[in-house]
Amino acid sequence: MNASQQAIDSRQLVLLTGSTGFIGNKLVCALQRLGFENIRCLVRPSSDLTQIERVSTQNGSRMEIVKGNLLSREDCIAATDGVSVIYHLAAGTGTKSFADAFANSVVTTRNLLDGVLRHNCLRRFVSLSSFAVYANQKNPCPGVLDENCPTESSPALRGDPYCFAKTKQDELVMHYGKKHGVPYVLVRPGVVYGPGKRRIHGRVGMDTFGIFLHLGGSNPIPLTFVDNCAEAIALAGVKKGIEGEVFNVVDDNLPSSREFLNMYKEEVADFRSFYVPHFASYLLCLFWEKYSTWSHGQLPPIYNRRVWAASWKCTRYSNEKTKNVLGWAPRVPTAEGLKQYFVSCRGDAIHA
Amino acid sequence: MLKVAIIGCGKIADDHLQQIHRIPGCEVVGACDVEPLMAEQLSERFRIKRAFVDVAELLKACRPDVVHIATPPHSHFALGQQCLQAGCHVYIEKPFALNTNETEKLIALAQEMSLKLTVGHDLQFSPAARRMRQLVRVGYLGGEPVHMESYYCYDLTDRRYAKSLLSDHSHWIRRLPGKLLHNIISHGIAKIAEFLYDDLLDVSAHGAVSPLLRSIGEDQIVDELRVTISSSSGTTAYFTFSSQMRPSLNMFRLYGPKNGLVVDHDRETLIKLRGDRYKSYAERFIPPVTLAAQQLANVAINLRNFLANDFQMKSGMKYLIESFYDSIINGGPPPVPYGEIVATARIMDAIFDQVYQGDQGGRADENSRRHHVAMID
Repeated sequence: MNASQQAIDSRQLVLLTGSTGFIGNKLVCALQRLGFENIRCLVRPSSDLTQIERVSTQNGSRMEIVKGNLLSREDCIAATDGVSVIYHLAAGTGTKSFADAFANSVVTTRNLLDGVLRHNCLRRFVSLSSFAVYANQKNPCPGVLDENCPTESSPALRGDPYCFAKTKQDELVMHYGKKHGVPYVLVRPGVVYGPGKRRIHGRVGMDTFGIFLHLGGSNPIPLTFVDNCAEAIALAGVKKGIEGEVFNVVDDNLPSSREFLNMYKEEVADFRSFYVPHFASYLLCLFWEKYSTWSHGQLPPIYNRRVWAASWKCTRYSNEKTKNVLGWAPRVPTAEGLKQYFVSCRGDAIHA
Repeated sequence: MLKVAIIGCGKIADDHLQQIHRIPGCEVVGACDVEPLMAEQLSERFRIKRAFVDVAELLKACRPDVVHIATPPHSHFALGQQCLQAGCHVYIEKPFALNTNETEKLIALAQEMSLKLTVGHDLQFSPAARRMRQLVRVGYLGGEPVHMESYYCYDLTDRRYAKSLLSDHSHWIRRLPGKLLHNIISHGIAKIAEFLYDDLLDVSAHGAVSPLLRSIGEDQIVDELRVTISSSSGTTAYFTFSSQMRPSLNMFRLYGPKNGLVVDHDRETLIKLRGDRYKSYAERFIPPVTLAAQQLANVAINLRNFLANDFQMKSGMKYLIESFYDSIINGGPPPVPYGEIVATARIMDAIFDQVYQGDQGGRADENSRRHHVAMID
C-alpha cells in the first residue's frame, strides 16, 4: 500500500490490545511489515510476554509494553494517550458466563473508547468482531454470508456468551461512532486457525461422550489462516476512507467440513466419527431448544435453531469486499495453511 | 406478589435469576450494579424492567420486599445494612460477611427490624442434602454426630484460569482476610457448622500454597487447607479444601454413634453407612451388594427428579430461595439458622487467623496453630 492510500503515517503510535493472544502476535508482525515503528501493547500483568518480546526483538521497531487492565478506566486512559490507531483484539473468550464475557468484551471496549474521547487524537478504532454475530436464520440455504447480512437482534437467545458479548461490543462501537464520531472499522474473521490452535472447530462437529458427531457435512468452513487474518486486520487500521465499514475475513478455496475432517484424520489422528445429516442436527437443536425452554434450563439453551443456522446451515462465504476495498489477499494459501496447522496438531491431537 | 431486586450483576446473578424465575408468586423489579453496562445486560437478558447504578435509588424506586446481594464480599455488610434499614428482607451470597463481627451486627439489625436474612449456602439444600437432613431428623445416626468430614475442592489446574484469577494483584479476592479461601470455603464449613451444637470449639488449621500456584509465581494465595475442629462435647470434624487433589471431591460424611451418611454433591447421591456388622464372611459380601443397590436407587431418584424437571444444577438454590420467601410470607424461621451463620463465620475467622497469622498482606507460609472459638450467641 502506498502512502497516499494510508489514513495514518507509519510513525504514529499504534495501540494493540490482546497482543499476546493467538492473532495478536501475528498482528504485530503484520504492522511491522507495513512499516509501523511505534507500537504499544497493553497486556495484563499476568500475560506471558515470551512471544511478543521475541517478535519485538526480531524486527527493529519500537515496542512499548504497557501492563494494565482493560476493566480499569484509568489504565485505559493512560494506554490510549497519544494513540492514532487502536487495534482492539482483547475479548472475553472461552467462558460459559454471560457476565464474564460481557465484562471482558463490552465494558473493556467502553473503557477504551472513553479513554479515546479524553485524548481526541485517534484516527482509527479497529474493533475485532466475529462471524458469531451474524444471524443466519433468514439467509437462503445455501446462501452467501457477507457484510450485508443482519446481525443477531436478540443475541442472548443464541445461548452463547461470546455471541452475546461480541454483538453488544459491535453495537457499542457503532454507537460511539455515531454519537461521538469515533472513526471505527469492524473486522469480522471467520474461523481463525493456524499453529497453536489444536481443537477442531464446532462448525465441523463435536465430541460427545467419546464419539465425534460430524455436523458440518458438505458445508464450507469459513477458515482464515492466522497470518492472513492478521494482515486484513492491519490493513483495516490504515486504509483511507473506510470509517464505519465492516469487513469479513475468510480465505479462498475453503474446504468443506467433510474434507477438513478427512484431512485431519489422515494428517493428525484417526478417530471414529458419526455423520449427522443437516435435517437431523436441525431437529436435535429444535428439540433441545424446546426442552430447555420447557424445563427452565434443566438443559442449558446452548443448542437451538439460531446456533444451528449460525454453525451448521449450508452457507457460502464472501471475501470480495475485503479484497476489493482493503486490497487484501490471503498470502498463505489454504492448502499451505492447513499443512502447517496439521503439523502443529500432531503429537497433541485433541478433537472437538 | 413478592417484589425482588438484585444487587450485583455478575456471574452468580444469572443463577439467582434463573431460579427466581422458576418460583411462582414473585417478580424481579430491579437490578443494580455500579457498572451501568452490567446492570443493563442483566436486565435485558432477564427482562427486568429497571436497571440502576445506585442502591438507594433502587430501594426508593422499586420498594422491593426482598433484595438479593450478589456482589463481592467486601460490600455485603454495608449493602445488607442499607437494605435492612430500607425495610427489605435480604438474601446474601456466600460468604455472608467479612468476619464474625459484621455477621453478628447484620443479624442483630435484622432481628431489631423484624426482617429476615439468609445466606447462599445452597449446597445444603440440594436434593441429596435434604434427604440426609431428613434421615438425621428421624434419628438415623443414633444420636448426636460423633465426627464429620467435609471436602470442598476447587479445580485450579487450568493454568490460564489460575493465572487470570490469581496473578491480578488488584483482584478483590486478594483483599479478603482469607483471600481465595474466604470466597470459597464457607459452603464446606457451613455443612459442619450445621451439626455443631456446642459453645466452645477448638479449630486447628494448616494451610499451604500448592506447587501449581508456586510454579506460576504465586506465594500468597493458600489453596490447600486442612482443618480439624473439635467441640467441648466431643464432636469432631475434618475440613479439607484442595485445588490439587483428584478426584476433586465435594462431599460431606457424617458419622453418628450408630450409623453414618455420605452426601456426594457432585453426583447428587446419598449413601447410608450401616454401623452394625454382619457375621464373618457375610460382612465381605452383603455390604458391597447393599451399597450397589443404594447407588442404583440414587440413579433412580436422580432420573425421577430429572424427568420431573426438578434437577437443575442449581436446584438447591431454588429450594433455598423458595424456603426463604416462604419464611417471609408465612412467618416461619429462615432456612439457615442464624446460629449456623455465626458459627460458620467464627470458624472461618479462626482458620484465616491461623493460615495468614493475622497478616493480611503477608506471605502465606505453611502456617498451623490452634485456635479456640467461643460459640456463644
